[in-house]
Amino acid sequence: MTERAMPIKNNNRRIDFKSLLWILPVLIVLAFLDFYPILEGIYFSLTDFNQFHFFNYGFVGFANYSYIFGSPELRTVIANTLVWSVGSTVVMVPAGFMLALIMNQKNLRGKYIYRSLYLFPWAFPAFLTILVWSNMLAYNGGVVNDLLGLVGISSIAWLTSPTYAMFSIIFVNFWLSFPYYTFVYTSAVQSIPNELYEAAEMDGYGSLRTLTRVTLPLLKRQVAFITIFGFIFTWNNFYVPFLLTGGGPGISTQILITYSYLEAFSYSNYALGAAYAIISILILLVFVIVTNHYTKMMSILY
Amino acid sequence: MENKYSKKEKVQRREEVDVFRMNNYYKNIRTLKKIASHLVLILFALFAVFPIYYVVITSLNSIGSLSASSLADLLPNTKMTLVNYSQIIFQHPFFIWLRNTLILTVASTFIGVMLSITSGLAMSRLNVPAKRMLLYMLLILSLFPFTMMVIPFYFMFSNFHLLNTYLGLIIPYSAGAVIYSTYLIKNYVDGLPTSYEEAAQMDGLSKAGALFRILVPMARPVIVFAAVLAFMGPYTDYALAGQFISSPSLYTLAIGMYYVSQGSITMNYGTYAAFSVLMGIPIFILFFVFQKYLVSGFSLSMYK
Repeated sequence: MTERAMPIKNNNRRIDFKSLLWILPVLIVLAFLDFYPILEGIYFSLTDFNQFHFFNYGFVGFANYSYIFGSPELRTVIANTLVWSVGSTVVMVPAGFMLALIMNQKNLRGKYIYRSLYLFPWAFPAFLTILVWSNMLAYNGGVVNDLLGLVGISSIAWLTSPTYAMFSIIFVNFWLSFPYYTFVYTSAVQSIPNELYEAAEMDGYGSLRTLTRVTLPLLKRQVAFITIFGFIFTWNNFYVPFLLTGGGPGISTQILITYSYLEAFSYSNYALGAAYAIISILILLVFVIVTNHYTKMMSILY
Repeated sequence: MENKYSKKEKVQRREEVDVFRMNNYYKNIRTLKKIASHLVLILFALFAVFPIYYVVITSLNSIGSLSASSLADLLPNTKMTLVNYSQIIFQHPFFIWLRNTLILTVASTFIGVMLSITSGLAMSRLNVPAKRMLLYMLLILSLFPFTMMVIPFYFMFSNFHLLNTYLGLIIPYSAGAVIYSTYLIKNYVDGLPTSYEEAAQMDGLSKAGALFRILVPMARPVIVFAAVLAFMGPYTDYALAGQFISSPSLYTLAIGMYYVSQGSITMNYGTYAAFSVLMGIPIFILFFVFQKYLVSGFSLSMYK
């Protein structure tokens, strides 16, 4: 690592094995804290590891998977996961983009004040604000129902009725996540050189045409990347459903990750929990491969 | 009279009127747009701030329970009190929990970000073998949910006698931060020009020296951004800490919160709110101090 640099031009294309030293610590971390647990998790999903076989579990092949594919819950949970992830993504990502565009206007007063206010949901630990929301949405004495009562709407069981529970967790997730997307898109929009906007203005482009002909084409891959990763993050977002509804009522807001946690830690059926997690990963993997095929968004990475 | 203006002048005059009308039209549109913009921004601002306002004002009330609260309690009133805060500070070991949490978060943020800086720089500037595969691999690893890791971690850490220790949590927390931070730093550094470090190398700095001394200061926004994000996770983690920590002297704020809230949501709603406020303040300060980096830190290089 301390070796003097070779002439830079010659060094450009050659593979540099010394550079492995730079990423060695990360590779070790990955090996012990990602690969090993993942492989062990995959192995667990092929055993009968549960509270009754805690020390003497054995290999059972694909029994857990065939059990899951035969169970009526799987379809509901996958459908819930899709509604939750798609529903969250289609509101939070466009909202963040819209707010970033609005705040990016020239001569708009107070944009820094707005931006600071939007920091509130992001800057307060989600773990706490989710619990705050669960109180605000409570049926009895919850402030949301109290406020709706003022305009004559009778109390709604936001978190405990199958009709509203999914809507409520998506709504709270929207509150939690729109600031992140606003900031990320602000950063993306600001990376477009001002001259392009000026040129568009000279050519008499209105806001809509500037958006569709300048901003969006330039940010195509960024938008794809941010959207797809927003989707994946939401798919695996455990705390919102877990703390708000605990997956209930019934299993109407159980998503794959909360259901995996429920199987593993509430029913102590670790093998089944691991199998659910792996099913979730396989679906995501297919999703990433397919979306990348169409959007080429991964090219941002290298 | 009709011939007062020549034809050419008439055309010119008409054009001027048109331009004037157009300008007026655009001015009106612009005013309307401005009003609409502010309206949208204000609505979202109210939406963003209300729950935080709600928890702060609740923490200052001495309401017995959730169902006893009313809308009148939402406005500042004369019954406000700090009793909830004193209860948390004097009846629970709040500062011990805070200290434990800070030890864990500061240590794991530091380690995680340090590792990410070296790996991010290498991924951006050096010809790492199988780089593309490594990047894909990191991405695929980020798909794995932590619920799958908890049990293998538990076994591994109990074998190494790391349960109920700081180290036992610092290790997985740092590892958790590494993947995303490496991405962020790599992407940001990709967007920086190479001429500075090349010049430094000409002046006799080693490759490593050039990368660290030149690029780290230039990448400060993204490093701060990554650090703030890395800090946030462990600070509020319950899923892992709840499984690993059983001795009360090592409780973190999240475990303490859970422990207090077990009784207090029904017993004293205000105490719970006050706990949320106290626990939220450090993160809140961190975010506002580093606000400008949150915009400049996230960069996905554009022209690729």
